[in-house]
Amino acid sequence: MTLLLIAALFLPLFPLSFVFNGALAQLRHPAARSALLLLWPQIGVGLLQFAPQPVPQYFVPWALLTAGVYALRLLTVRDMGRWAGFVATSGLALAWALASGGPDIADLHLFAFWFSVPPALMALLAAPLTRRFGAAYAGLQGGLMGCLPRMSGVLAVTVLAAVATPPFPGFFALLRLLRALDWAGAVGGLAIWLVWGWAGTKLLQGFIFGADHAHSVRDIGRASTLAYTGVLGAFVAAGLYLTGGGL
Amino acid sequence: MSLALGRRLKIRAMVHVAGEPIPFFWPMRTFIHHNPLYGLEHQPFEKAVAQGARLFHGRGFLPRPLQQRYLIEGKVDVSVLADQVARFIAGQPGVPGLDLHRLLMTLLTEITEPFGAPPPLANARDIHAAVAGLALPAREIGEATLVAQVGADMLPGRPLYAIVDALFGTEIGATLDELVIKSCLDFFDEGQSVWQMPGREHGLFAAWSAVARRNLRLFIRGLHIKRILAADDTPEGIISHVMDELGVPEDDWMNCFTCELTRLHGWAGFIRWRAGAKHYHWSRHYPADLVDYLAIRLVLGLALLREHAQRKGTPANAADLARFVEGHPAEAYLRHEFHGGRVLPEMAHAVEDAIASGRAARIARLLPQYLARKREHEARRHAHQLLKLAGRAGIVDVLQRLAEEDIARLGVLIGRFEQEEGRMWLCAQEARYMDRLLANLNLEPPSQREKRPFAQVMFCIDVRSERIRRHLEKVGDYQTFGIAGFFGVPVSFIGLDKGSELHLCPVVVSPKNVVLELGIARSANEQAFVSALEQVFHELKASVLSPFITVEAIGLLFGLDMFGKSLAPLAYNRWRQRLHQDKPDSRLLLDKLSREQAESIIRALQRAMIVKALGRDLGIPREAITDEMIRELRESALGNHAEPTGFAHAFRLDAQAEARFIERLRSVYRINRGYAQIQLERLGRIGFTLDEQVHFVSQALRSIGLTEGFSRFVLLSGHGSTSENNPYESALDCGACGGNHGITNARVLAQIANKPAVRARLREQGVAIPDDTWFVPAFHNTTTDELRLYDLDLLPSSHLVYLERLSNGLEAASRLCAAERMGTLEGAARSGDPASAYRLARRNAMDWSQVRPEWGLARNAAFVIGRRHVTRQLDLEGRAFLNSYDYRCDPKGRLLENILAGPLVVGQWINMEHYFSAVDNDHYGSGSKVYHNIAGRFGVMTGNLSDLRTGLPAQTVLKDGAPYHEPLRLLTVIEAPFAHARGAIEGVVAVRNLMRNGWLRMAVVDPEAHAVHVFEDGTWSQRPLQVVGGVTEEKELAL
Repeated sequence: MTLLLIAALFLPLFPLSFVFNGALAQLRHPAARSALLLLWPQIGVGLLQFAPQPVPQYFVPWALLTAGVYALRLLTVRDMGRWAGFVATSGLALAWALASGGPDIADLHLFAFWFSVPPALMALLAAPLTRRFGAAYAGLQGGLMGCLPRMSGVLAVTVLAAVATPPFPGFFALLRLLRALDWAGAVGGLAIWLVWGWAGTKLLQGFIFGADHAHSVRDIGRASTLAYTGVLGAFVAAGLYLTGGGL
Repeated sequence: MSLALGRRLKIRAMVHVAGEPIPFFWPMRTFIHHNPLYGLEHQPFEKAVAQGARLFHGRGFLPRPLQQRYLIEGKVDVSVLADQVARFIAGQPGVPGLDLHRLLMTLLTEITEPFGAPPPLANARDIHAAVAGLALPAREIGEATLVAQVGADMLPGRPLYAIVDALFGTEIGATLDELVIKSCLDFFDEGQSVWQMPGREHGLFAAWSAVARRNLRLFIRGLHIKRILAADDTPEGIISHVMDELGVPEDDWMNCFTCELTRLHGWAGFIRWRAGAKHYHWSRHYPADLVDYLAIRLVLGLALLREHAQRKGTPANAADLARFVEGHPAEAYLRHEFHGGRVLPEMAHAVEDAIASGRAARIARLLPQYLARKREHEARRHAHQLLKLAGRAGIVDVLQRLAEEDIARLGVLIGRFEQEEGRMWLCAQEARYMDRLLANLNLEPPSQREKRPFAQVMFCIDVRSERIRRHLEKVGDYQTFGIAGFFGVPVSFIGLDKGSELHLCPVVVSPKNVVLELGIARSANEQAFVSALEQVFHELKASVLSPFITVEAIGLLFGLDMFGKSLAPLAYNRWRQRLHQDKPDSRLLLDKLSREQAESIIRALQRAMIVKALGRDLGIPREAITDEMIRELRESALGNHAEPTGFAHAFRLDAQAEARFIERLRSVYRINRGYAQIQLERLGRIGFTLDEQVHFVSQALRSIGLTEGFSRFVLLSGHGSTSENNPYESALDCGACGGNHGITNARVLAQIANKPAVRARLREQGVAIPDDTWFVPAFHNTTTDELRLYDLDLLPSSHLVYLERLSNGLEAASRLCAAERMGTLEGAARSGDPASAYRLARRNAMDWSQVRPEWGLARNAAFVIGRRHVTRQLDLEGRAFLNSYDYRCDPKGRLLENILAGPLVVGQWINMEHYFSAVDNDHYGSGSKVYHNIAGRFGVMTGNLSDLRTGLPAQTVLKDGAPYHEPLRLLTVIEAPFAHARGAIEGVVAVRNLMRNGWLRMAVVDPEAHAVHVFEDGTWSQRPLQVVGGVTEEKELAL
């Protein structure tokens, strides 16, 4: 049980999730944040492997509750760094619901990976926004579509990936999870997914749409755009290939 | 309860005055170009622009980076710019040791980002330290400063909900706008909705309040409209009640009303226009005015404020708000910073968390930290801007040596300068254009012609006519003239099978005479099968349930239509046009009817109605009754025949049945004395007297200087446009014809000018039109460049042999014009040779996906009043209105006054509409067409719910996001002796005021003194006329 609770620090469950989000808030460097988002949950999955007992069933509502609480919190958060942390927490918590069904540990690693990559990219994207505007804060500097079209495009696609929109792997992973849950759990999972979508739209509205106030700000470079696009493309391709068996 | 009459009238008057700055919005079926700041035209241009920025939040001048681009392209006169800067500096206190002229010119030409408003927290001492690279001096910022900063946004008259939104991040204003727009869409609908709002005939406020009282959705939202409406029955009473409830002092009401009305100025402008348009069908049936509109806004605003106060604890009236700000200055300040978008980005999260917690201790802890960082940020930013500017100007060391007070003075000076720089750029740009135009005008007297031209063509003064005139003159022996497109004949037109009057004249003119179009050899019941089918399709699509079945049953047909329109628009539309029956030949009823003729027409109509009534009501066919019976029935209905009729006797009707039938004739079929009198009056408006006809022809010919040397053909070319799927189609039509096609006016004048009686009278007046001269109406389609001749069946047979040559010439000019124009639309690569350009232009007119079928009047810049030879050698690139005028034919200057009072004013409206739409398309224009939706069949909205979009769409004035239309004030050039022109200008008060207030530029080129007089800085100045040197290629003279 102790090992499971330690694992719940890494595959964050409320209130242990404070540690994960606190650590993210303390880190300033975008690469460090990104690395934390990618590696932290993998440690949790690794620990699960060594757990002497299967994941108890009461972890499922706990996981859904955590995911739901953080999904609702997303609706009010406007700082992109925090948003990335909360969406990751919400998504990764669902790994417990999947784990309770006793799947292959590799599937759990992949599940965590699918929900870590888009937040990690968002953590990286927050850096150029902070450099340009002082903070990556939705609503402060709207209308980026007009002045930073590349940045806006990459950001929009990344947020869509983070909220498990098809064809990103998060969507297929979520489908896999829904099949593993009973109907009540599945309804809860769908509700959480709906709230993610709503929160994602709100975030994009705060950044991308509206009046353009920053005509002279330079967009991200072509190379960066290609790099982000490449990662997202590879992410989709890998997802389609690796989650195909789950459908 | 109801307010006293005096009080009600006072409120009405206040609303009326508060709405004055809002420009009219005409229904888009007849788009009227107008100055969006028309209500402020009594002020100087710069002041009006500044006030427009306050009222409509619109920018009045292009931003600096665009001006700098014009500078690089050579479109700005640098010497004039430098002169403007020098004059600005002369009126300002100096900064010792600093070369201000150099600094400000550097700011204009090399710095793209403006300094903006002075920093609110950092003072000169802070900036001075930052410039020197030192730490900022310690300083405490007191509560009074914070309250003052919050108070700066609480200006008298600003709606309370707007202040609450700014402090609490609520969206009351946006919700209110949404509710008001929905109400307006319901009430003002002109047939777009299938289900209409009930009770509209009682007026806007009455209809809305009846619905709102029962509106369950509003009640569920917590908006207790009914309680507010219970306070009074009248809109004035409601306005008074709400303002009292909000606690707004009566002195601020007017400002508050203006703020409320300008918030959705498109809707307010439409209601304002509609309230005054007495002839407008919809306003006569469903009345509304700004008082109704304002009352609705205020009721909804108060209900929303109360609902928020109850749910979120926000202030519900002015007193609560003042108490909150005084009691919680720190929180108010931080809220003001956060929700006003001024918050320091790196502290945004901390500030949001603190104000969300609502804990005073947490806010008090955060505030000093926030103020210190904000002050530091402001000082460093301002210092960085100053150092960058000084660095570019090469005077960094001088800047760093400045004392604190000099830094303060410099900051104030730069702030003032940036407020005025737009005007400076504009003057410099206009000077460059003016110099180029004036230097190339030809003031040498024209050489005498050996023979009369093959044809003379009168075009509208519209800038689009300039191109086709130039090409027509190039391809053959054509002489062209420019005249306002309604040809000086204000017409109220009732078209074939139309039941309403269409005003074909500038909106500043009210036509008195009606022209009726009558078909030739046409059955009254004839209706094309295809038209009927289309009507059925429309009904199927528009009703509530039938679309479900329609899609299943005949959806494929719509698919075919879609593919046809998308893939082969030209061929498909040609095929569709063949399905429609051609419009039958028609004649215009132009002559006044005598009383006998009018009475005879009424008698004939009454007799026809009686026959119809007998058939419908009694089932008696025409062959069963005699003319005498009809006459008797008519006389009985008119009260001239009291005895039983022969008809009653023949058909054995008793007295009661006969009386009932006669009463029906009076009430249903309107055969009565009163209605006969109305018909008589209406018929009295049809046509023109001979005197009027002679006057119109004489004035038209004299005003353009065509009093001799008439050709065999005199073409009167009206213009219009054709495009698909384009709500702005009418904006491309003739402004002088009230946003309609100009062909009717051309037909009217041609028909009049061809009458022997008119010509005989003209000959007596000294205008001898030869017998072989024939006036032919023509239509210039500005989208396709086609020139089409009308009423050719009236052409004398002697002229038919020349028709081929005429048609060839016109078509050649059309093709050349299309080739020139397509280059600007599609790029030279796609336009190709004249024939393919002509084909491409016709495709554009039929392509329903084409958002820019033509550029319309974009790039208009000048209005030249004078003889054609003055500009004939120039390629004016379709940027100049050309109004033909020969001062020698107008010794008293009356014709010039008419041109100034009519066409020039319309031209100025067009110019200002383009100016402001190009400068700030979001606020004064209507944004991208791509997001437009039709609203109520009279306007467009962006998305599904927005203010009515006024002004021109982005596709009309912008290209790739930058202005295609170069925003310049209209340069008016009059070719006439200076004293003559000046007398006319002074004689037209409206134009004189426009000139003095800087809404247009005025220049007079004197062909006798060979001098140019320009009105600048409130006075006339004379310049020598530069003579065009040698033979110059036409393109080199392009302006």
